[in-house]
Amino acid sequence: MSAVIKESAQADQPLVSLRNLNKYYGDFAAVDNISLDIKEGEFLTFLGSSGSGKSTTLSMLAGFETPTSGEIQVEGKSLIKVPPHKRDIGMVFQRYSLFPHLSVRDNIAFPLTLRKLQTAERERQVDAMLKLVQLDDFAHRRPAQLSGGQQQRVAIARALVYEPRILLMDEPLGALDKKLREELQDELRHLHRRLGITIVYVTHDQEEAMRLSQRIAIFSHGKIVGLGSGYDLYQNPPNAFVAAFLGNSNFLRVKAQGDAAAQFESQSLAMRPTAGLQAAQDLLLMVRPEKAQALTSQQAMQEPLAAGWNEIGATVNEVVFLGESLTYNVVTAGGTSLTVKALSGNLLPLQAGAEVRVRWAAADACVYSEWSESDLSKTAGAH
Amino acid sequence: MTTAQSSQSTHVAGAAPRAAGMASSSTAQRWRGFSNLLPALLFLGLFFLAPLIGLLMRGVLEPSLGLGNYEQLFANSAYTRVLLNTFSVAGLVTVISLLLGFPLAWAITLVPRGWGRWLLNIVLLSMWTSLLARTYSWLVLLQASGVINKTLMAMGIIDQPLEMVHNLTGVVIGMSYIMIPFIVLPLQATMQAIDPMVLQAGAICGASPWRNFFRVFLPLCRPGLFSGGLMVFVMSLGYYVTPALLGGAQNMMLPEFIIQQVQSFLNWGIASAAAALLIGITLVLLYFYLKLQPESPVGASNAR
Repeated sequence: MSAVIKESAQADQPLVSLRNLNKYYGDFAAVDNISLDIKEGEFLTFLGSSGSGKSTTLSMLAGFETPTSGEIQVEGKSLIKVPPHKRDIGMVFQRYSLFPHLSVRDNIAFPLTLRKLQTAERERQVDAMLKLVQLDDFAHRRPAQLSGGQQQRVAIARALVYEPRILLMDEPLGALDKKLREELQDELRHLHRRLGITIVYVTHDQEEAMRLSQRIAIFSHGKIVGLGSGYDLYQNPPNAFVAAFLGNSNFLRVKAQGDAAAQFESQSLAMRPTAGLQAAQDLLLMVRPEKAQALTSQQAMQEPLAAGWNEIGATVNEVVFLGESLTYNVVTAGGTSLTVKALSGNLLPLQAGAEVRVRWAAADACVYSEWSESDLSKTAGAH
Repeated sequence: MTTAQSSQSTHVAGAAPRAAGMASSSTAQRWRGFSNLLPALLFLGLFFLAPLIGLLMRGVLEPSLGLGNYEQLFANSAYTRVLLNTFSVAGLVTVISLLLGFPLAWAITLVPRGWGRWLLNIVLLSMWTSLLARTYSWLVLLQASGVINKTLMAMGIIDQPLEMVHNLTGVVIGMSYIMIPFIVLPLQATMQAIDPMVLQAGAICGASPWRNFFRVFLPLCRPGLFSGGLMVFVMSLGYYVTPALLGGAQNMMLPEFIIQQVQSFLNWGIASAAAALLIGITLVLLYFYLKLQPESPVGASNAR
């Protein structure tokens, strides 16, 4: 399939750009003023809970939905008036949507038949595709005679066979069980690396997004609230919503005391220097559970607090053993609940009710000056 | 009737590989409920099979032993005319009701759910209304002094009333109308089961709406078209009331012919030969139906 590989010389030139894209259903904004550049050859994931607008955006890219306003361009040319069958985009659907009346081979050959390819050339490409997705032995079966994972491979082959520059995938692995899903995720990642095709992937599963993509766009209420690599979004979430949505997080409500200090429950904490703060302004500190440490009082006495670290006292509420890690749920004197995660190998599990000292490096805590309360709950994001 | 026919076909299709794979020991298991069938078998045997066989026997026994009746049926040009009428009317009715029923079934599938219900109820209502009432109302509409002719003449489009009744035109019009529900019901069920995402997949693969229709949608409708069309064709072959009321004495269809032979001429032999022919044709069609319809692609994808 060497022909699929496209030169990625102008990697910085966006292949697709969405400009101020809106989709309204009546008064309801399913997609709310989205602007986004998709680079050639990248694996970009739209991540969000259901109803966050990610699938609607994908549908507009495919041409099944017409934007209420805004612009979709591929290499500078508008796609708005182009019907789906002329967009030359590949798509893999959530429930595969194979043609049930055609064999695996004919399903994959379908796009080529429409393009009036010579029979020999068509057969050659279909054979290559069958080999790529390792379905040579199933070529003459009907889709209904295949397992879910096999059907998904046929769907991928059908979407790739006509060498589209952009492949859209709408929760393609959602219907499969966990183990198979992870297997196919790895296959998909390798496929992307090998073919160099641009993939836009939609999922609500953040682990899947992390595992697959080079960049993630996090959707909430029809907007993109975070865009970047999985690493950046996790380590330095741009806002409290992303922090709460991606992985686990502890939020501490503090009041600013100058640029690099804040007051938390009548205790002073160091924090990242943040410009433009007013005195006594409400702030939110976010600490990832694995960046925090829980120490017993004795341990805390033996190990003096390093410079640039914070320490607060708390009571252990619950200890959960998760195999490779241990999770402590602790509550401060002021009633703030925190989660501390530690690798289980080198620590004695603390008992519920024990007094602990919780420490973290000020540099590891993100500071937010604006947030809404609903951002902090894990289920936020849908309308 | 729709469900009976389609479930029968899937049962037969599914049973073959299963039976092949099973050991003979489980045959007893499979026939365990057989005794429950006895009352129905007894009833059908006594009141359906026995008289039917009796009738069919007359075809080869009266007036003399042999196939003389059948010979006569095919040799006499008036009789072959009846056969030709029967087949062409049945074929025409099938085509017309397919052409009219397809868009109707599609509309029922596409309109919002509540509206679809209403449309379907209207179709059902027309099916449940007395056949005689419906046929006579076509008589009112189509006859020389009927609504249609009067309107057309008043508008000056025609000078003389069109002859739309008491001939095969009337039969075809009336029967097509009566048969449409039998197309719409199986076809609509088939269309309802088609995943609309499959059509989106066709579009994104590069199929224009036109090609998507012919290469994806229509093949997926095939089971419904097939069972509906076959049912209408078979029913049309043996239909009596509508041809009798809307048709003319010159151009008879087979059922009318059978009744005429029995009631007017007491010619049981030729009547029973004609009846046997009708039954034979129906059985052959049923065989092809089962043969050509081994699996429903739509049903198979839904099972998963």
